[in-house]
Amino acid sequence: MNSMNKLVEELKGRFTLLEVLLPDQQQLIVDIDQMHLHALLSHLKATGFRQLSLLTAVDWIEENTFQLVYIVFNWDTGIHVLVRTKLPRDKAVFRTITGIYPGAQYYERDVHEFFGVAFEGNVMSFKPLFLELWDELPPMRKDFDPEAYSREKFPERPYVPQFVPKVEVVE
Amino acid sequence: MKEVKLFLGPQHPGMHGNYSAHMYVEGDMINKSYALPGMLHRGFEKLMERRHWMGNLALIPRICVIEPDPNEMVYAMSIEKLAGIEVPERAHWIRMIILELARLAANLMAIGGIGAPVGLYTSVYWGVADRDLVLDIFEKITGARVYHMYIVPGGVRKDLPEGIEEEILGLLDYIEARLPEFYDLVMRSPIFQTRTRDNILLPEEVVWELGVTGIGMRSAVNKEYDIRKVKPYARYDQVAFSLPYGPYSDAFTRVDFKYVEMAQSISIIRQSIEKMPKEGPVRARIATGSALRWRVPPGMVYSCVESARGEYGYLVVSDGREMPYRIAVRGSSYPQGLLGVEKYLPGHRIDDASLWMDTMGVCAPEIDR
Repeated sequence: MNSMNKLVEELKGRFTLLEVLLPDQQQLIVDIDQMHLHALLSHLKATGFRQLSLLTAVDWIEENTFQLVYIVFNWDTGIHVLVRTKLPRDKAVFRTITGIYPGAQYYERDVHEFFGVAFEGNVMSFKPLFLELWDELPPMRKDFDPEAYSREKFPERPYVPQFVPKVEVVE
Repeated sequence: MKEVKLFLGPQHPGMHGNYSAHMYVEGDMINKSYALPGMLHRGFEKLMERRHWMGNLALIPRICVIEPDPNEMVYAMSIEKLAGIEVPERAHWIRMIILELARLAANLMAIGGIGAPVGLYTSVYWGVADRDLVLDIFEKITGARVYHMYIVPGGVRKDLPEGIEEEILGLLDYIEARLPEFYDLVMRSPIFQTRTRDNILLPEEVVWELGVTGIGMRSAVNKEYDIRKVKPYARYDQVAFSLPYGPYSDAFTRVDFKYVEMAQSISIIRQSIEKMPKEGPVRARIATGSALRWRVPPGMVYSCVESARGEYGYLVVSDGREMPYRIAVRGSSYPQGLLGVEKYLPGHRIDDASLWMDTMGVCAPEIDR
């Protein structure tokens, strides 16, 4: 717990954090504005948080924002830090972190495909990855309705019992 | 020589699941490659947002076929943290037994499976046959062989059947006696040695660059980096075990570490059976009334466990309603399966591409989640 208190104090001293939460003894959630996110991640990486465990997004449609969540891990202290920042939903553009954590390349591509968040500086992130020839809203957005999509894309067909042709057996 | 485009997978004995690597090859050297996932995309994360908290239990184990139990564990851990549920003592130990049996099954499959890319098919049959004995135990405990849906929020679904402890101990004795035979068959085999020694290297810088965890990481960074040690969950802090680690990671070391870890899993299960309370509740009551109306307090939490292939985690977000607001899956093989294939497969030979997939534990469904 000591190392956690030290970390919280240090981060509070260096950065303007919008919110700090402790959901667990070895987990810290910090909210920061877009401008300072890269500085915070660089600082964390330099102080032992060498691994990016996950980068993902949450669509808060009622607030009209996307929340990006960067999860970094320090293997020596066992602390996970969840760095979160919010983007306006109608202007979902952010800058890449591949300069800090190169492993983010595919996570950014993933988030771009499923949420439509563009990452400037990561050219690869604009290429499709999982969904082939996708022509609809990014599917993890809350306003995408998978049921309506599949009804439209795969219309119901009448059930035809004799779809297997009868073969006459010649003795 | 002319460069040719070659597809490894999705239908290929050396490929793990419905997954493909497109390679540009010259002779048998890979010049360029990229992973092509998407053939197994079932939209788990979206589906989970449209099911009740309890209904998701049937869905989550399917995210990784080889090792479904870590999924159940991280989901349960997340909900317990959000809702402040205290898990009964006996349930913690049962969970550990289940997780270690799952690790044993996954490692048996991996050590057996390495036979396919190197051309040593006997090990495949041995590995799968012995894994089946572990699945028999799972069937007796949970009623299902592969997808158990046994670790649930609040504990485990039901208590262990009577007399299962003796059966588990009997199985462990059998597997322990089999381990030297596996060593002779696989690790000492000249075919295996030639193909894996000093091949498919994973330097420490690459581990940090990609975010590789698990055996790949421990064999490269020379430290005992394991979630069970670094941030123990369940009752891992009350059992004694030591994990192999080293500074040089080639394909041989990684398979060797899997072999060593099997003995550690056996030891952990034995200690758990000895130390666990012999009776007591196994499931905390999480809510009164119907599970369909059960709500989880709003919040966001990340939970992770050490699967046989590395850090496996879920980010769970609740807005206080009957269904999860968002669940994001951190598959252990995501870094090495995508960026690893693109950056570090070039420079190897075609026949070694499967060795990368195998010794790094690439599991397609957890990437295509």
